[in-house]
Amino acid sequence: MMETKLLTEHYDKDEYIGLDGYKKHGGYEVLKKALKMDPKAIIEEVKASGLRGRGGAGFPTGVKWGFLPDNGEPRYLLCNADEGEPGTFKDRAMMERAPHQLIEGMIISAFAVKSNKSYIYVRGEYQMCIRKLEKAIREAYDGGFLGKNILGSGFDHDMDVYSGAGAYICGEETGMISSLEGKKGQPKLKPPFPAVQGYLAKPTIVNNVETLAAVGPIIRDGAAAYRKHGTEKSAGTKLFSVSGNVKKPGVYEVPLGYPLIDLINVECGGLEPGRKLKAVIPGGSSAPVLTAEEAMKATMDYECLQGMGSMLGSGAVIVIDDTNCMVDMLKVIMHFYHHESCGQCTPCREGTGWLHKIVNSIVTGEGRLQDIDLMLRVSRQMMGKTICALSDAAAMPAISFVEKFRDEFEFYVREGRSKVKGSLHA
Amino acid sequence: MPKVKVNGKEIEVKEGTLLIEAFKQAKEDIAHYCWHPGLSTAGVCRLCMVEIEGNPRLQIACNTVVTEGMSACNNSDKIKETVKWGLDFHLINHPLDCPICDQAGECGLQDQYMKFGKYTPEMSEHKVKKHKVVSLGERVVLDSERCILCSRCVRFTSEVSKTNELGIFNRGDRAEIGTFDGKPLDNNYSMNTVDICPVGALTSKDFRFRQRVWYLKNGTSICTGCSTGCNIKAYYNEEGLFRIKPEPNPDVNVYWMCDKGREIYKHINLDARLTEARSGQAGNWQVRESAECLKEAGDAIRQAVKDVGPTRVAMVLTGQHSQEEYQELVNFYLGDLACREIYHWINNPEQMEEFDGILYRGDRNPNTKGLLGILAKEKVNAPWKQLEDRLNQDSVDVLVVAGPEDPSVFPDLMEKLHLFGKAKKLLWLSSTKSEIVDQVTTPTWQIPLKTFFEKDGTFVNFQGKKQEFKRIATIVPKAMGLTDVTKVLSGRGEGASQGDKSDLDWKKTNFFVQQRGPL
Repeated sequence: MMETKLLTEHYDKDEYIGLDGYKKHGGYEVLKKALKMDPKAIIEEVKASGLRGRGGAGFPTGVKWGFLPDNGEPRYLLCNADEGEPGTFKDRAMMERAPHQLIEGMIISAFAVKSNKSYIYVRGEYQMCIRKLEKAIREAYDGGFLGKNILGSGFDHDMDVYSGAGAYICGEETGMISSLEGKKGQPKLKPPFPAVQGYLAKPTIVNNVETLAAVGPIIRDGAAAYRKHGTEKSAGTKLFSVSGNVKKPGVYEVPLGYPLIDLINVECGGLEPGRKLKAVIPGGSSAPVLTAEEAMKATMDYECLQGMGSMLGSGAVIVIDDTNCMVDMLKVIMHFYHHESCGQCTPCREGTGWLHKIVNSIVTGEGRLQDIDLMLRVSRQMMGKTICALSDAAAMPAISFVEKFRDEFEFYVREGRSKVKGSLHA
Repeated sequence: MPKVKVNGKEIEVKEGTLLIEAFKQAKEDIAHYCWHPGLSTAGVCRLCMVEIEGNPRLQIACNTVVTEGMSACNNSDKIKETVKWGLDFHLINHPLDCPICDQAGECGLQDQYMKFGKYTPEMSEHKVKKHKVVSLGERVVLDSERCILCSRCVRFTSEVSKTNELGIFNRGDRAEIGTFDGKPLDNNYSMNTVDICPVGALTSKDFRFRQRVWYLKNGTSICTGCSTGCNIKAYYNEEGLFRIKPEPNPDVNVYWMCDKGREIYKHINLDARLTEARSGQAGNWQVRESAECLKEAGDAIRQAVKDVGPTRVAMVLTGQHSQEEYQELVNFYLGDLACREIYHWINNPEQMEEFDGILYRGDRNPNTKGLLGILAKEKVNAPWKQLEDRLNQDSVDVLVVAGPEDPSVFPDLMEKLHLFGKAKKLLWLSSTKSEIVDQVTTPTWQIPLKTFFEKDGTFVNFQGKKQEFKRIATIVPKAMGLTDVTKVLSGRGEGASQGDKSDLDWKKTNFFVQQRGPL
């Protein structure tokens, strides 16, 4: 099998970044088509396409749009470009290589949900993305694709880029809304949901970069054509950012349902010679890890990975070979979630710190055998108990690492060093 | 009125009730820290978890509005386990310094852990270190390590006092309460943050380290600090009064009271009080029995009325005393004596109409409205100017003044006493001693009165709402109520207060107090 380049077709061309180059390859033609459609028809088309949120949760996009109340209030469209999940870098590629593709997708989406104002909330570290998006938005205004009466359709739309300050939690949609409102970036209680009461307490739709960009091809070719890619429940293509122990890490677009092992061996050129696949994290650091055996059988779609107890998440595939120690890795992951917990909900605030300290004590040789089970119990009590999913995001890797690689943890506790030859603390 | 099942009990609740309120209504235990009925829902302590029928995920009761037919429980094993662990999460970084913590005895962590806790601590790593003994303002101290970040205080300053001094800074388990730009927390409602703090993170500078709460008794009453009439709880023991806290009343003060109101206990305590009657004038005071003085005063009043006429006796009343007392006094004055010279002493005329938009009013008397009501009913409120003229013309033989309970709210005390001193004789009725009064040059009887803490009565607040209060304890045995004063003045009795013994005797208390002496 090969890559299916529905979104990334022209990513290799530098001219695609600018407006002229983008137009040369058919840019803003879909917008012209969409502006002549009935907004409701666009929502129906997106519903029919089976597009699911590409940010991690996988919620059907058209259904989400349908939650907006029809009460005549101003409503906002927010693009979530706060890509912070360790291992994820596909949105960055999209914004750097094709900013206009995102902007066009956003204008179409905004037209569909009748929003006159949108923001792209970009992760603070992505300075190049911010510069490119700002330039592209200026070009779009100059080209008449943004502002008043877009292409004579009577539809007005303004767009702005907003820079985050590097907080992972601002990638959670209500955390992002808090941050955008100028408050401390921490998630809000739900209900009310953003579609009813979001940014500035007005109805708000928050979609991931890739989701919004995918709206273009769906409207261009129709839902049926989009559905030809992928599986029945996971329609379309998806960008995967593959990192870790592969020869060619990078961003690859493949149809959903693509075998994970092909992604590793074909697209990414396989592992270094002499190394053996040990584990794969299929959907960013919060997704439960898969063992090599599981990874062999896995296909990259929502239902297969869910069936294996993991998740597709943001599509960040982290490939782990046999030179890596799972205890050391978990320590890094736990440090991340401890550092990024917003501190609102007690189980997350205290639990992330506790888990980090426990795994840290194992790595420094002060661990006790009962700590291994304690990690499992603490993690399980952190799941499903908090306002947002950060607590679960910290608990899931902890549980899966300990359950699937328990021998490495026990060895570490007993010997005070890693079991894995070639790893840092062996 | 939706019906809801709470742990199997079916109850009917008001439209819009939160599930946590339904649990409380059904008298079912439900652990919680961050939720407070007077504040918005934060939903962060995650302790009020419930299982709702038909919902696979656990929900927090404080963010769930009850709907018809809802069935929820928090007595399943799953919830019990969740609450146990939830409490453990709260405690892993808590210093557990209960023996030196002022909140001990009324601490949410202690109480709820005893009820729902896990009892098997498993945290063996180092705790997070945070700032301690941080002075947030004039009245409040913060210990960040004890703080469980429930955000009640932050929500209070943003929603009730609307002063927004407090915020949570930093993230995760490094998060701490603090003030923006180091600006102090010094609004007039800052002590409410101490009340609502479920742990010992925020403590009162005025109260901390003065008493262990389990040595305190309490009684409810009405705040005399201003005309709002906040419902209060006064905490005291044999050593005296130690603090005042608000008592919820949805019609008056909801859950709060102001910081100024909390000061009122200070003038009730023994060292501020006029403990015995005395007669004389500046530089020459004799300690006497109240009844004796009052009999003398009564005779003088009757003599003046008989010899010269009822206009020679005047009476000055403040909004400080109760309805019942004023009614007695006024009845005696108008009935027995047929005098009509009653004047209303407005202690701070410029501020009388002030209101801060929350609770505090410029009229710093608990019963102005009640007094004015009585005067209006009897049609006897004479203009103040008339009193000034008469005193200046030397035509007042006896002046009766029902003076301030708390002299600190009478900024014009000196000026007024200078005026009152022009009467030939002065009967000064007050619960507090005052150096200013001791400087009066005219022959004067000073009679010690009871404070609101020591008597029953009714105040009428600014809304016209009658609020009854009951005696809590006696501090000055020789103090009388105005009712008793009237009895003796009119010759109808001896007054009942002579036999009362003080409930507050520091000598009776423990060894350490005896060593230390009274506070």
